[in-house]
Amino acid sequence: MRISKPGLSSFLVLVVASVFIAWPVFSTGSGIYYRVLSLACLYGALALSWNILALTGSISLGHAAFFGLGAYGSALACQYWHWSPYVTIFLGGIIGCLYGLVWHLTFRKLRGAAFALATLASVEIPKVTIDNWDRVTSGSLGLIGIEGLPPVRLWSLTLDVDRNLQVQCFFLVLFALSVLYIHVKAISSRWGWAIRAVREDETAASTLGVDVLRIRLQALMASAFLTGLGGAIYAHLMGSVEPALVFGLHFSALPLVLSIFGGRYLALGPFLGALILYPADQLIFHSWLPAGHAALYGLVMVITILFFPHGIGEWVQQETKSV
Amino acid sequence: MKDTKITKKSLRVLLFHLFLPFYFPNGIKFIRFQQRAGSMGNCMSRFFVPLAIVLFTIMLPEGGFPADAIRIGEVNPLTGKLSKHGLEIHEGILMALEEVNAHGGINGRRVDLFSRDDQSLPEVAINQTEDLLYRVRVVGLVGGYVDALVGPISELAAKHRTPYVASASLQRSLTEGRHNPYFFRVSQLNGVVKPLCDFVTEMIRPKSAAVLYTATPGSTEFGHDVEACLRHAGVAIPIVEKFRPGTLDFSSFLLKVRRYQPDILISGGFFPDHLILARQLREQKIPLPAYLAPWGIAYPSFVEEMGEASEGLFGLCAWNPGISLPGTEKETVSFVEQFTRRFGKPPNTTTMHGYTSARALLMAIERASHGGNELSGDAISRQLRSLDLILPMEHLAFDQKGDPKHYQQVVVQIQKGKFVVVYPPDRASGKIMER
Amino acid sequence: MLVQLLIDSFSIGSFYALVALGFSLIFGVTHAFNLAHGELILLSGYLAYTLGKHFNIPFVCTLPVCMLALVFVAMLLHQLLRRVKEPFELNSLVVTFGLALLLQNAMLYGFSADYRLIPLAPVPTLDFPRLHVFITKPQLTLVGLSLLVTASIYLLWRKTFLGKALRATIQDREAARLAGINVEHMSLIAFILGGMLIGLAGPLYAQREYLHPFGGMEATLIGIIITIFAGVGRIRGILLGGWILGGVESTTVFFLGASWRELVSALVLIILVIARPAGVLTKGARSAKR
Repeated sequence: MRISKPGLSSFLVLVVASVFIAWPVFSTGSGIYYRVLSLACLYGALALSWNILALTGSISLGHAAFFGLGAYGSALACQYWHWSPYVTIFLGGIIGCLYGLVWHLTFRKLRGAAFALATLASVEIPKVTIDNWDRVTSGSLGLIGIEGLPPVRLWSLTLDVDRNLQVQCFFLVLFALSVLYIHVKAISSRWGWAIRAVREDETAASTLGVDVLRIRLQALMASAFLTGLGGAIYAHLMGSVEPALVFGLHFSALPLVLSIFGGRYLALGPFLGALILYPADQLIFHSWLPAGHAALYGLVMVITILFFPHGIGEWVQQETKSV
Repeated sequence: MKDTKITKKSLRVLLFHLFLPFYFPNGIKFIRFQQRAGSMGNCMSRFFVPLAIVLFTIMLPEGGFPADAIRIGEVNPLTGKLSKHGLEIHEGILMALEEVNAHGGINGRRVDLFSRDDQSLPEVAINQTEDLLYRVRVVGLVGGYVDALVGPISELAAKHRTPYVASASLQRSLTEGRHNPYFFRVSQLNGVVKPLCDFVTEMIRPKSAAVLYTATPGSTEFGHDVEACLRHAGVAIPIVEKFRPGTLDFSSFLLKVRRYQPDILISGGFFPDHLILARQLREQKIPLPAYLAPWGIAYPSFVEEMGEASEGLFGLCAWNPGISLPGTEKETVSFVEQFTRRFGKPPNTTTMHGYTSARALLMAIERASHGGNELSGDAISRQLRSLDLILPMEHLAFDQKGDPKHYQQVVVQIQKGKFVVVYPPDRASGKIMER
Repeated sequence: MLVQLLIDSFSIGSFYALVALGFSLIFGVTHAFNLAHGELILLSGYLAYTLGKHFNIPFVCTLPVCMLALVFVAMLLHQLLRRVKEPFELNSLVVTFGLALLLQNAMLYGFSADYRLIPLAPVPTLDFPRLHVFITKPQLTLVGLSLLVTASIYLLWRKTFLGKALRATIQDREAARLAGINVEHMSLIAFILGGMLIGLAGPLYAQREYLHPFGGMEATLIGIIITIFAGVGRIRGILLGGWILGGVESTTVFFLGASWRELVSALVLIILVIARPAGVLTKGARSAKR
C-alpha cells in the first residue's frame, strides 16, 4: 500500500537544501566547494543546451564551435569595444546563435551520422580562423587578462561576482536554472511535443502539420545561443582563453557524455549528470587517485550505462518515462 | 603519493547511509510519491540525500595529518598529452623532498608532498589548487608545466599569500607587467631563445633558415622571437610555418623544405613531433645541414627511441647527466645515481627543472622556519627572493619579478648517441659534426 | 613536385584507410560507436613494441600476433557491448568513452608516459631523379597493404555468403533476421574482423607515428571521419575517402601552409558530405532520413 506523504518529502528536501547551501558559510576555506559547484552548474547548463538539440534527433559532435565562438566573441568585444561583460556575454551567445544559423542553412538536409560528422568538422573552421588571425585575436597565443564579471549593485548590496565565490556560485546556479527552464519547456510543453514528434518520425510529424524545419531551427538556435552564453561566461570566469582549449573536443564531448549519463529524456537529466559526476571527479576522485582518477571516471561511466541505460536520472526519478 | 586520508569512521558513516534505503524499504515508502505532485520531490530526495551525505563526509574536518609535517603541493599534468613531462617534473620534485626527509626533514619536521593532476585544463588546475590551498593547507606550491595553467595557479597562490615556484614556465606574459610577489620560476623563454639565436648566428651562420612551430602559446612566442632575431641578423627565412599538435605527417611540409633548401630548420615542436619529423627527414633524404629544436631532442629517451636517425640533430637543454653548471659535477653524478636507483631510469632536463624548483622552495622554507617562527607564506616568499643557490642546473637567484637571473640553456648535438655541448664556447665539450 | 605530392597523398591516405577500416566494420554491422578505437590500436602497437624490443621478434612476424591478440580483445569488447541496452548507439558511445579512459590509464600504468616508437631499419628508396620523385619502402608497403586488405575484404563482402549476410545486416537488421541470418553471430564476426584490422593497424601506427597512452584520439577521429564520410559499410569508399582526405591535407599544407590544413580538410569534408550524405561512393544525394 502506498503511503503518500507530500509534506514529509518536501520538508526533507527543504532541510537538506538549506543545510547544503548554508553549511559552507560557516566553514572557512570553503571556496573550493563553491568553485566546483559553479563549474558543475556551467557544465550542467552546457549539457542541457546540447540536449535541447539532441531532443530533435540531431546528435551534434560540434558544440565546441558555439562554445568557442561565444568565448572569443565576448572576450574580443570586451577588449576592443570596452563593453561591460554582462553585455558581451549576450553578444557571445548571439554569435553562437548565428553560427547555428549557418549550420541550419548548410546542414539542413543531413541526418544521423552525416550530420554528426558535419558538425564535428565545422568546429575546425572558426578554430583555425581564430588561431591564424594573429592581428585580431592574438592567434595561438590566446587572450589573457580577460576582464572578469564586474560587481552588481543591488540596492545597498554590492555583489562582487568575480571575486566573491559564493556570489559567483549563485550567478551560475541562476544561469543553470534558466537553461533548465528552457530545457523543461523543450520536453513538456507544446513545443516539446513538436520536438518529440520530429524526433520520432519526421514524415509523420509533417503530415500532422508540424513544421519540421522550423522546429529544428528553433532548437538549434536555442542550443547554440545557450552554449555560446556558457562559453562567454567561461571566458570571463577563467580570465584567459586559447583556441585549442575553447574549441577543443573536451567541450564537445563532455556535455554529450554528461547528458547521456544523466538521462537524456528527463527534464533534470543532463543537469543531474553534471552535478553528480563533476563534483565527484574533482572532489573525490582527484584526491583519492591523483594519477588514476580518470580510470575511476571511466569506470563509473561504464557501470552506470550498463545498469541504467537511460541514465542515472532513471534511478533518481524511480520510474523511466518512456519518451 | 600521500594524500587525503579518508578516516575509517567517515567511510563507515558514508557506506551506512548509502545502503540505508536498501535495508529499510519502509524508509523508501516514506518518501514514495504520487507521480505528478511527488515525483519531483521524490527525485530530489533520492538525489539530494546521498549527495548531502557525501558532501558532509568530505566537509568533515580532516583527521590523520601528523600535526608537525610540512605540506607542499604540486599541480602537474599527470594524465593527458603532457603527462610525460608532468610526471618527470613530479619525479624531480619527489626526489628533492625525499632527499630532505632522508636528512631529517626541515628542523626535524617531515615534508609531505600532495600531488594533483590538472588534466591540462585551466579550470581543473584552479580547482585542484584551491583544494591544496584550502583543504589540505599547503605552505608552498611547486610544479606546473604549461603557462596557460601556471598563470591561474599563480594568481590563486597570490590570493592566498602562498609562494609558488613554477618548474617549467616560460612565457613573458607571466612576469611582464604583473607584480606577483608570490610567484617565482626557475626557467624563462629568454634562456632558450638567446643561446639558440646566438648559436645559429655565430656558429651555423646560415644564409636561409626555416622556422616551424606549434599552435601552442609557448611555441608560438618562441617562433616569433626566433624569427625576429634571425631576421635582425640578416638571415633569409623562406619558410615560417605553424602546425597543430597531434599532426601525424610532415611529408608535404618537407617537400617545401626540399624546394627552398634552407641551411637550417628550427623546430618549436615537442618530443612526439620530432619522432615523426626526424624520421621522415631521414627517410625522404632531405638535404638539410642542420635540424635544431629546443624541446624534445636533448632527452636520453629520444636518442634511445630514434636510434641512428637522431645522429647529428641539435637540441637545447638546461641540464643532462654529464652536462651541468661548472663546479657541480659531483652533485650531478650523485643525483643521477640516486635518481636511477629510486626510479629505475635516468633523470633528464625536465626532471631537473622539477628538482630545482623544489630545492628552492624547500631551502626557503628551511630558512623561514629558523628561530621557531610560524611558517607563513610571506616569510617563505621573502626567503625565496633573497635566495642564491648553486645547483646543477643553474645558479639560482630570482629577480624582482620572479624570473631566474641566470637561466641559460646550452646547445647540444647528438653525436654517436651522446650529447656533446657545442655552445656556448665556455661550456663546449666538442665540435659540431657535419651531417 | 606535384607527382611527389600525389605519391605522398596516396601513402598517407592508405594509412588513414587502414586505421579507419576496423572502426568502419564494427560500426557498420553492429552500430556500436567505438570511441576506444584509437586506444585499441595503441594497445596493439604496444604489444608489437614489446615483442620487438624484449623478444626480438622481427616486425613482420609481430603483425599476425597482434592481429590475433586484438581479435581476442575485440571479442571481449563484443561481450561487453552485448550487455548495453537501448538506445544502443549513444550508450555504446558513452561506454566506449569510459572504456577509453580506463585503457588510457591502464597503458599509462603499464607502459609509462614515455613516447615509444618502433624503429625502421634504413629504408631503400626508389629514386626517379629525372622526375624529381622518390618512393620510400614504407610508403609502398602502406599503399600495397591497404590495397590488399581492401581487396580481400571486398572479396569477402561480394563473393562469399558470409559477406552477403554481413551486408544484409548492415542494410537492415530486422529484415536480415527475418531472412534467417543470425544477427548476433554477424555482430561477433564483425568484431572479429574489426579486431584483426585494428591489430594490423597497431604496429603500423607504432612505426609511422609514436606510442603514447593518451595519443588515441587522433586515430579514433580518423576512424570516425572516414567511416561516416565513406558511407557506412562501404569498403571501397573507405580507401577512396582516405585518399581524398590525404590528398586534401597534403595539397593544403604544400600550397597554403600547415596552419590551414584542418580548415580546408573540414571544408572539403563538409561539402562532400552535403553533396553525398549517404557516402562518397553513392550515386546521388539521398537524404538519409533516420
